[in-house]
Amino acid sequence: MSTASENFTSGYAAAEPQTGAVKLTMILSGAVFALMMVLGLAMRAAQSQWIGLDPDLFYQILTAHGAGMVGTAALSGAAIMWYFCGRYLVLGAAIFWAFLGLFLLGVALILGAIFIGGYGGAWTFLFPLPALSGGAWEASAAAAFMLGYTVIGVGFLLYYLELGRRIHARYGSLARALGWNLILGREDNDPPPPAIVAAAAVTIFNSIGIILGAAVLAASLVHLLVPGFEVDALLAKNLIYFFGHVFINASIYMAVTAVYEILPEYTGRPWTSNRVFAIAWNAVLIFVMAVYWHHLLQDVAMPPWMLVVGQLVSYFSGIPLIAVTAFSTFLYVRGSKMTWDLASALLVLSVAGWSVGSIPASIDGMISVNKVMHNTMWVPGHFHTYLLLGEVAMAFGFMAWLVRGRTIARMGGLDRAAFATYLAGAAGFVTVFLFSGAASIPRRWAVHYEEWLAHDRIGTLFSLLVVLGTLIIVLRFAARLRRSQG
Amino acid sequence: MQPVVLLISLVLMAALSAAFWLAARAAHGPAPGPGANGKRTGLIWAMTILGVLVSAGSLRQWPHALAAPGDALEVNVSGGQWWWDIDTTEIPAGTPVLFNVTTEDVTHGMGIYDSNLTLLTQVQAIPGYTTRITYTFEEPGSYRILCMEFCGVAHHDMVNEFEVVAGEE
Ligand SMILES: [Cu+2]
Repeated sequence: MSTASENFTSGYAAAEPQTGAVKLTMILSGAVFALMMVLGLAMRAAQSQWIGLDPDLFYQILTAHGAGMVGTAALSGAAIMWYFCGRYLVLGAAIFWAFLGLFLLGVALILGAIFIGGYGGAWTFLFPLPALSGGAWEASAAAAFMLGYTVIGVGFLLYYLELGRRIHARYGSLARALGWNLILGREDNDPPPPAIVAAAAVTIFNSIGIILGAAVLAASLVHLLVPGFEVDALLAKNLIYFFGHVFINASIYMAVTAVYEILPEYTGRPWTSNRVFAIAWNAVLIFVMAVYWHHLLQDVAMPPWMLVVGQLVSYFSGIPLIAVTAFSTFLYVRGSKMTWDLASALLVLSVAGWSVGSIPASIDGMISVNKVMHNTMWVPGHFHTYLLLGEVAMAFGFMAWLVRGRTIARMGGLDRAAFATYLAGAAGFVTVFLFSGAASIPRRWAVHYEEWLAHDRIGTLFSLLVVLGTLIIVLRFAARLRRSQG
Repeated sequence: MQPVVLLISLVLMAALSAAFWLAARAAHGPAPGPGANGKRTGLIWAMTILGVLVSAGSLRQWPHALAAPGDALEVNVSGGQWWWDIDTTEIPAGTPVLFNVTTEDVTHGMGIYDSNLTLLTQVQAIPGYTTRITYTFEEPGSYRILCMEFCGVAHHDMVNEFEVVAGEE
């Protein structure tokens, strides 16, 4: 088995010219994931009354944690997809460096806005909250925060422009790269591989998301400078949630290319695009843009048909995920004789976590349930499931694969301990959130009532395990990276 | 409602986790047979039919029940950084109440809690809009309004109370 895998890998080695840039991005992502998890732990510990945090500081940390996690998920997802698209396309290295540079500049602006300027308006910057801080921060801090987002958005647009351009050049059109020939049953002697289908879809929907995000950022920035310039708050909220929902989903849809490209090395069965796969991705392209309405089910001023579509799409988007991606993963794993190392274990876990997390999400997407679950701890419960056990697990699996040995070996003791700690911590942590949501505990509260402390304390202990598991995985990656390059 | 939602979610999540765990354990067993693709088609149909049934059932009656019956009591609630103002502090039990919710500054969320701290219903307060929900309180007692949408550094302090009193028979 290991010989076959070696051949499989070395066949691509020549076509992976930007490995250095991707490795650097992954070590940065790993470090920031760990740091943001420590901030999450601090918030849970403060709610537990085990440490004292001023509410001002708590909400600054909340803002940093949200923006930092979403940004890092997107950064690591983008690095993974760039790496694997590099197997099929010639991608300009300068574009990736510009993307990374703009990303880091944006991060500096955002961190400065929060921890120097005191900005604590949440990563969602709901209009007109950034301009109305109640004395907690100046308009300049809010402006720096939004400029940071804008700079990161420009970086991502560059990234997608390059991908889209190269996909077009290689496959003739984005439609062909989306597998339309497969869907229509036309003959195609050069069908797009799964990573390219994913890249084409994400390029389209995330570019649209970022452009609408830029529109609301620009309007909010003008409002900060000229307070008389008003934006309709509901329209702004629509734009923000469109952008935010598409952007965070894109991070998982980019990272899943690691599953498509790496698992075949372990199973010896190539993951090829077929008709069902192409239909699923085209459905994702539509669903990902229509589903954000489920964030607005409490906004009864919205036209009711939009809320109905929000509920329907939030359920039906589970079908391409569970019946296609998750089901294919079962089929690839069963009888594959695969070797379980840290990379393969994390990647299989990531598809499971992503699918499992979609269940409480679509249940919350029912209007009648949403009335008692929305903006309780239930919501962080579901998105932490598909981020912590989905996107982050994909990123960690990819990192473990990048620095694997020459032959695939079974998991050693330390890897087993890291995997078990991370899985136990994350599973327990998100389950506590779901129980807290069912107990009506509101989200984003710096100070908790006595009745809620048991939830907070158990959650804190599990988040400690998550941090510990993450530290082992990231430090192990750093150590092996040094060894493999030294 | 919340315990039922939790139970259904946990059962489905556990079932899907178990399926993955069994697939991982079967990695060294026999490969899937030729019927696997048929099973996928079956799964897609099953999920589609289930979705249509659940959607139709849960949306047949509009869950927000915006059109309040004619005898509804109107209560105006306004929010701001960081307070709630309620124009009626004693609400009769058993009478449908129509809440008109407004905000003076940023977006807030009005969540109505009973004395056991269970969330009964909620709606967003959006600048420039009046949002409406109806609710009928069955039990007399003291109720709380908590802010559900992050609105700045005293978000968690945005709490007010009202009483539900035994209604006239
Ligand atoms: Cu509020």
